[in-house]
Amino acid sequence: MYFEVNGKKVFATTGGKEFDNKKPAVIFLHGSGLDHTFWGLHSRFFAFRKYTVLVPDLPGHSHSEGAALTSIEAMADWLNDVVTTLDIENISLVAHSQGCLIALEFAARYPQQLRSVSFIASGLATPVNPALIDNAENNPQAAIAMMTSWGFGSAGHLHQGPIPGNSMLSGGQKIMWRNVPDELATDLKACDAYENGKVVAPKIGGPIQVILGGQDRMAPRKVTKELVDHLSNPEVHIVTQSGHMVPLEAPDTCRDLLKTFIFANNPAT
Amino acid sequence: MSHFYHFDTLSLHAGQTVDSEFGARATPIYQTTSYVFPDTDTAASIFNLERGGHAYSRITNPTVGVLEQRIAALEGGSAAVCTASGMAATFCAITAILGQGDHIVASSQMYGGNISLMKNTLPRFGITTTFVDPTDVEGFHAALQDNTRLVYGELIGNPGLDILDLEGVAAICAENHIPFMVDATFNTPYLCRCFDYGVNITIHSVTKWMGGHGAAIGGVVIDGGNFDWGASDKYPTITDDYAPFSGINLWEEFGPSAYAMRIRAEAMRDIGPTMSPMNAFLLLQGIETLSLRMDKHLANTKVMLEYLSGHEQVSWVSHPDLSAHRSHALAKKYLPKGAGSIVSFGVKGGRDAGKAFIENVELASHLANVGDSKTLIIHPATTTHSRIDADALVAAGISDDMIRLSVGLEDVADIQADFETGFRAAKKIANS
Repeated sequence: MYFEVNGKKVFATTGGKEFDNKKPAVIFLHGSGLDHTFWGLHSRFFAFRKYTVLVPDLPGHSHSEGAALTSIEAMADWLNDVVTTLDIENISLVAHSQGCLIALEFAARYPQQLRSVSFIASGLATPVNPALIDNAENNPQAAIAMMTSWGFGSAGHLHQGPIPGNSMLSGGQKIMWRNVPDELATDLKACDAYENGKVVAPKIGGPIQVILGGQDRMAPRKVTKELVDHLSNPEVHIVTQSGHMVPLEAPDTCRDLLKTFIFANNPAT
Repeated sequence: MSHFYHFDTLSLHAGQTVDSEFGARATPIYQTTSYVFPDTDTAASIFNLERGGHAYSRITNPTVGVLEQRIAALEGGSAAVCTASGMAATFCAITAILGQGDHIVASSQMYGGNISLMKNTLPRFGITTTFVDPTDVEGFHAALQDNTRLVYGELIGNPGLDILDLEGVAAICAENHIPFMVDATFNTPYLCRCFDYGVNITIHSVTKWMGGHGAAIGGVVIDGGNFDWGASDKYPTITDDYAPFSGINLWEEFGPSAYAMRIRAEAMRDIGPTMSPMNAFLLLQGIETLSLRMDKHLANTKVMLEYLSGHEQVSWVSHPDLSAHRSHALAKKYLPKGAGSIVSFGVKGGRDAGKAFIENVELASHLANVGDSKTLIIHPATTTHSRIDADALVAAGISDDMIRLSVGLEDVADIQADFETGFRAAKKIANS
């Protein structure tokens, strides 16, 4: 569906059901250079189980209008504008990679409607290799190659995928092609500049879940440990056979973890 | 820095998850119709496309799935759907996005089955086609109509062997927001990955070089994942809600794989042109050696071109790797390893001499196939293209004396010795 936020059209998929702000909501946040399709194996599941689902494209990404936002803080504010515009209550926020940084800021700034937060494949900060930023601006093909090479674990590199016939590696690359060079470069610079995670993470209350990829080279264990150490009593899961793209690489495991956590902490009746 | 597996590695491994129970190294043949669901919720979610998984082998099968993902990997596509034959792939690929009142612009130099489908069968479903000379890029543009929804061609035209200017036609398609579909059977992804040149969808008869052993019929449609179906309202089968699956919007949910998902959700379910698991296994075995075989096909073809070009009983030889061929420059651009292993030639003495040649060779098999590991020959005008009319034969570049040779993997000296027998018989006819 399309709706307007701050004068710009925002696209969000709703998992095949009409958006209904009276129901408990699950909001999914995508990572750098990606879009709503990243969450296709999760959004529909919750939409058909009494939740209302919102999977927005960040500003400038794929179907959403405007320029990409230049800071994580601005993205958190924009997310709050989305929540306010649609008058959403009882939110379970599910975030991946860059989306986790947005979720950290959002959860600290706007905790009122939040019932749970799930962080997937992230640390407190995401320092970005300067060569990657340079490629994102000047050589998108190389940037996409670097991100997907580092982002996928062994199954992804063998073009396996949870949907028969679909290559998750190629599919991921095609999504990123929609968002180069401007959006990807802006996203990466925003991630690189973000330093507030250590400050806001301890302030986040309520149920917190962290799901990590055992083969993740973009958010390795040392980086994710920092996030876990700064959060209040998170439940932590490591999906051993996955790289950075856990929701794509291990969708069944990831969905089961999200289901158990969200059903318990933000029940839909 | 980035690292991805290379072509030969993907040919062997892509798409396969090693069997966790027994550790089978080869892809197991899952010869089953259906799959036991662990619980009702999982069953419901598979049927509702909330998650991946197998329900019924008409729609998906684990062995076929490995083949699909392997071909998607080799082509650089986002997804692939295998079918019972190459023609099934073509039919499914077209009807996934075209219907009553829609129009195709297609090359006039194509496999006779493709031409017949578009000329005779699709019009019964309200889909019409304008055929254009594949060497005239502007001709594709000129043939576009308001209702054109697809541009279709073969990179290496069968059997005329003209090379389609992929980038030229792709630019016209992009400008007019029409997907560009290419039958890539003759090139295989080893010789050219068409998506690198702006093509949006490829299809193959995997019966041919991909499988390579003449043992199994099969087809595949590969979604390039590079066409913006949502940029116009021309493609409602992809962008509108699809009622049979609880109103799913495939474009929203699956993005770069939406087109392949439409074929899966509609054609495989409602029509059912399914590839068998056994055939998928045989074709996987073939793909494991695709690059090795193609290199040998090309090496033998090079020798045969020299041999035929210098033979006194041969009136003409056509292959894009020959400098005199009108597509030579395009062949060098798109097919730098070589322009495939199909050779057309004429036998001096016309039709009867050609007939004598075909009937007197022994090693080369006279049959209606190409891309086998064995050398094959046929007379297109009376066989593969016999169902198209005289004008279409000319448009397809087929002459009465044309022999189509599919160069195999035998010792090339033995192929030449066999041909000498055929040429001696042809000479007697020509001189009588």
